[in-house]
Amino acid sequence: MADEQNQPGVQVTRRQFLKTSAASAAVSLFAAMPPGLGYVQGSDRIKVGVIGCGGRGTGATHDCANSAPGVVIWALGDMFRDRLDGCRNSLAQLGNKADVPDSRCFVGLDAYKGVLGSGVDLVILATPPGFRPIHFPAAVEAGKHVFMEKPVATDAPGIRKILAAADTAQQKGLAVVAGTQRRHQASYIEAIKRIHDGAIGDLVGGQVYWNGGGVGNGVPPKAPGQTDLEWMIRSWYQFLWLCGDHIVEQHVHNLDVANWVFNAHPVSAMGVGGRTQRTDPVRFPMIFDHFAIDYEYPNGVHVMSMCRHWDDCPGNVSEHIVGTKGTANPWGQIFGPNAWRFSGNNPNPYSQEHTDLIASIRAGKPLNEARQVAESTLTAIMGRMAAYTGQVITWDQALNSQENLYPDLTDPRAPIPVGKPPVPGKTRFV
Amino acid sequence: MKNVLTRFPRRSLVVLAPWLVMALLSAGAPGQVQKHPKAARPSPAASLAPYTETVRVTGDANKVRFDMVPVKGGRFAFTDPTSGKVREVIVKPFWIEKTEVTWDQFDQFLIVPEKAKPGTADAVARPSHPYMPPDRGFGHTGYPAISLTFYSAQQYCKWLSLKTGRKYRLPTEAEWEFACRAGGPPVQLDEKGLDAVAWYSENAGGTTHPVGKKQPNGLGLYDMLGNAGEWCVGVDGKPVLRGGSFMDPASKVSCKARARQTPAWNQTDPQIPKSKWWLSDGPFAGFRVVREP
Repeated sequence: MADEQNQPGVQVTRRQFLKTSAASAAVSLFAAMPPGLGYVQGSDRIKVGVIGCGGRGTGATHDCANSAPGVVIWALGDMFRDRLDGCRNSLAQLGNKADVPDSRCFVGLDAYKGVLGSGVDLVILATPPGFRPIHFPAAVEAGKHVFMEKPVATDAPGIRKILAAADTAQQKGLAVVAGTQRRHQASYIEAIKRIHDGAIGDLVGGQVYWNGGGVGNGVPPKAPGQTDLEWMIRSWYQFLWLCGDHIVEQHVHNLDVANWVFNAHPVSAMGVGGRTQRTDPVRFPMIFDHFAIDYEYPNGVHVMSMCRHWDDCPGNVSEHIVGTKGTANPWGQIFGPNAWRFSGNNPNPYSQEHTDLIASIRAGKPLNEARQVAESTLTAIMGRMAAYTGQVITWDQALNSQENLYPDLTDPRAPIPVGKPPVPGKTRFV
Repeated sequence: MKNVLTRFPRRSLVVLAPWLVMALLSAGAPGQVQKHPKAARPSPAASLAPYTETVRVTGDANKVRFDMVPVKGGRFAFTDPTSGKVREVIVKPFWIEKTEVTWDQFDQFLIVPEKAKPGTADAVARPSHPYMPPDRGFGHTGYPAISLTFYSAQQYCKWLSLKTGRKYRLPTEAEWEFACRAGGPPVQLDEKGLDAVAWYSENAGGTTHPVGKKQPNGLGLYDMLGNAGEWCVGVDGKPVLRGGSFMDPASKVSCKARARQTPAWNQTDPQIPKSKWWLSDGPFAGFRVVREP
């Protein structure tokens, strides 16, 4: 079991690691720059706004409030009143770490604008992923530090918006931490440091998995008077524009680990995918229930990725890295001549990511994980494109894809097309 | 080697006659059992026989089978875990599952029926899909169902009872310990003895193992010690996990071993409210069912 105690040393370890990684160039460069607009000096109070008050948003709210002294939950926003109320009711557990009067509660599609205008220093972006390319640039524009859940987009136009805002955030000195929490998990940090230090020799390949039983029980019939928008958001996992399919929404965690270990994003992807268990077109209108993708990284290194949502089958959420002198489980194990197993404090990474975010803001050395998580998200989207079309998809193709999944929401009551499951060979790359 | 638990002479299990009469009466009592012809069969406590339960899932060719073992009632010296005092406890006869509930069994409960008929097993509230696969990658078919809350285990029993027409539930911790001891006193096995009957941290390799691979105890029950810890109803009516698990050292695995849920058991569930069905950090938590006559 994970130890409940936080360990200050973990942050030091992480910084030391960053200095040795490819990310160090950006971090060190930035650390040398004068503090920008968004800084909160010293131990000043940090006021937090929440955009997306579902189960994860509420969990992140508590993790953030409890991650450091002087953090106060200040404003809430959600599409739906009931979700906002659920989160707000939970704030009683936080005592004086929450101060959210009615005037700082915002409901509806534009709730994020209210939160961004409420005087907050930091926002938590935890809506379904399809909205992230709208909310993240808006938060950066407003000069807010950001914690944003993964994935950060569901299509390439969304990724391009995130990447542009990532650069702006850097220029403004804003901190951005993403919900790829393995990056803040002591056992992963230590294992991958050892891998980078040569514990398993040169890296020649790997396998990454998210094989589980699925998320949610499908789409219920639309209620009388319910708009398509509300109906879809309430069952967002099943709709491509909101979720991105499970390879994007869930497997991005393991693909992020691969990108971290190999210090690169893939150059191309090819693969397979389909629907074998979730075939009911009413409850499961669009997304696949399995993918297997062969990712090629620079220097001819291949990473095999597999993810599935199959009930009654063995689960496996893990990564496996192959080197010339051994293998590794980046969770915290090295096999071979330099065999090692992580032991010691492994603080809850869902808390640690907020502790690291707040500490980086207060130290004037803001973390910026926006590009990293955008690349991991695009890695997953590229795999999805390869499986949906049956074609080999390169990184440049994926990045420049013109497929725009986001519907026209000018009239939020307008019908939204549902779409159908793709057919490899027939579905075209756009 | 023979199960060490059987080394000890069984105490003469005195079944109290008046109590037996009550047990028989309650077994034949009217009420919910009348809905199910199977359950209406009288089952005299003195002649409980082993049997195999079969669960057929609607709309599915799969059938799930598991074995139930009778436990004669009796009284035994039970150390009250709350007070530490030894007191005599009377246990009525019951059946207990030969193994821990496996994923094969639990998966049938997870299947959401397309059209749930009110008042039937279909309508029992069942677990949400967990974000992380709850088998933790240890293995699935034949492995004990784990990462389960007490509530999940209770709901499974409710579903199973409606599905079969028999009264399944979680054991009380007195029943569980009585079955674990198999008529002997509570002993702390040495490591050699424990290795023959249990999976614990020194021999489990960090995972659960398929049920029924070690030697059974004197009643023919497998994995009472170690593998998955087992949810019981505590002496105070509150949930308690008994027997130790594959994560516990040998010294913490015995018929007396018990643990209460702590915040660490679902610490890394990133949602609020945290799941009432799944323990994000409880890969050691499983259960087995008992049936009343």
